[in-house]
Amino acid sequence: MLDTGAGMLQSLKPVKQINQHVCTFAHYAHDPGRQIETHHFVARLNQDFLQCAVYDTDSASGRLIGVEYIVSDKIFESLPPDEQKLWHSHAYEIKSGLWVNPRIPEIVGKPELENLAKTYGKFWCTWQIDRGDKLPLGAPALMMSPQGVNLGRVRPDLVQKRDDRYNISTDALRASRLEIEEPEWINPQADYWKQHGKGFAIDINQTEMKKITPFP
Amino acid sequence: MSPATATRSGARSPRTTEAIKRARPSSSFATLREGEFKSSSREEREAEKGEEEVMATTHPDIPGEPTHTGTALLETANAAIQTFGPLNKIHQHLCAFHFYAHDMTRQVEAHHYCGHQNEEMRQCLIYDGPGADARLIGLEYIVSESLFLALPDEEKPLWHSHEYEVKGGYLFMPGTPGPIERQDLGKVCKTYGKTIHFWQVDRGDSLPLGLPQIMMALTRDGQLKEDLAQDVEKRFGVSFRKERENRAYMKGLEHGIHPLANAAGKGLETQLREVECKPAESVPRVFV
Repeated sequence: MLDTGAGMLQSLKPVKQINQHVCTFAHYAHDPGRQIETHHFVARLNQDFLQCAVYDTDSASGRLIGVEYIVSDKIFESLPPDEQKLWHSHAYEIKSGLWVNPRIPEIVGKPELENLAKTYGKFWCTWQIDRGDKLPLGAPALMMSPQGVNLGRVRPDLVQKRDDRYNISTDALRASRLEIEEPEWINPQADYWKQHGKGFAIDINQTEMKKITPFP
Repeated sequence: MSPATATRSGARSPRTTEAIKRARPSSSFATLREGEFKSSSREEREAEKGEEEVMATTHPDIPGEPTHTGTALLETANAAIQTFGPLNKIHQHLCAFHFYAHDMTRQVEAHHYCGHQNEEMRQCLIYDGPGADARLIGLEYIVSESLFLALPDEEKPLWHSHEYEVKGGYLFMPGTPGPIERQDLGKVCKTYGKTIHFWQVDRGDSLPLGLPQIMMALTRDGQLKEDLAQDVEKRFGVSFRKERENRAYMKGLEHGIHPLANAAGKGLETQLREVECKPAESVPRVFV
């Protein structure tokens, strides 16, 4: 057993705040054709803000593939437009049934879905497992959410695989979520690719490091 | 203190207790105010034995309303039912210091919560403190020397060595007695890490703004700022100098610090680039 001795003595408090598992889908902002299933483990810091550790599965062998932050529309509207470009909306993802809380009966989860449908997310992926990387390589990648236009829809085989594993039906969930209110307005800076036809990539460039001593 | 691996069955898991505490109406809604961090709610939350305060200038409140009781109760009820596989692997808390790969003068206290993927690799969630209201500011991957050496050369500069900060006594496991701590740190000493931060709390951001930042770790004497070092030593009751003596026996990397590691001795910065995207309706329709 690895380090159980030390493990018994530490409180791990920030991780204990994580109390929600969400399974959904995302695509790369620089390449919408590359779509992945994601497992978000979510902690709430206040009524307007959530932080998520994102993995590729919910099993113990899950690889940590990134981090997502989720904010209310109120907070999103306060962000500068250049920042808003990096965020995505959640309404379609939730209403279409793609976003699920595995093992939670839909009737239990539904009240919160109305709130979450109005939120925006910012998701950085640090391990591109869908291209076969055995270790986290390269620069972090910005991710975007499924949307109701052709390029934003998730491939049926990915959805089927997920549905089979949890014995659920995304189609049935979509039908039952029709009554969830659409947000009155989704900020056009979010889901930037949809209206502007532009994706985003991150480059890492060499530069002069501001130093206190020689490095390394 | 609660055990590291909380069980998920039963009516009152540690998570339930935490969430009910946090759902109390609190006065935490505040925009950034420099130098002011002590609201009554924060004091209440940090009243527990062993809980430490954080430096005032690095802990502004996040904008937003306090969590509604209904939301909190629902979320904690759900937590008892779901599967949290990867989180159950997190068994260890390490505290260390990172600085920005383009700016050694901007330094951050980083609380790592780590799980082993296998004997040669760990993955860590990084928070800005050890408390319940800590912000998730980044992540780190830690690999053995052999995994590092197998990385492509263009990848190696994004990784940093751990030898100096472990042997120097700066990386420690809060709440863990020295002999037990050193058993694992002797292994960490021979690893490399890749650290990315998403939330620049050191410049007072109350939200995770901007681009991800590649971070580096301490590599020699004189880098770690005195006031930051002393603050951490005081809050966690540790002495870096004493730990350095205790760890003098530790062996470092078999092959020494690779010349391409630690940004190959340069600085690194991230930049956003727009790319052309296919028009939204340009692909055939699929049915989800």
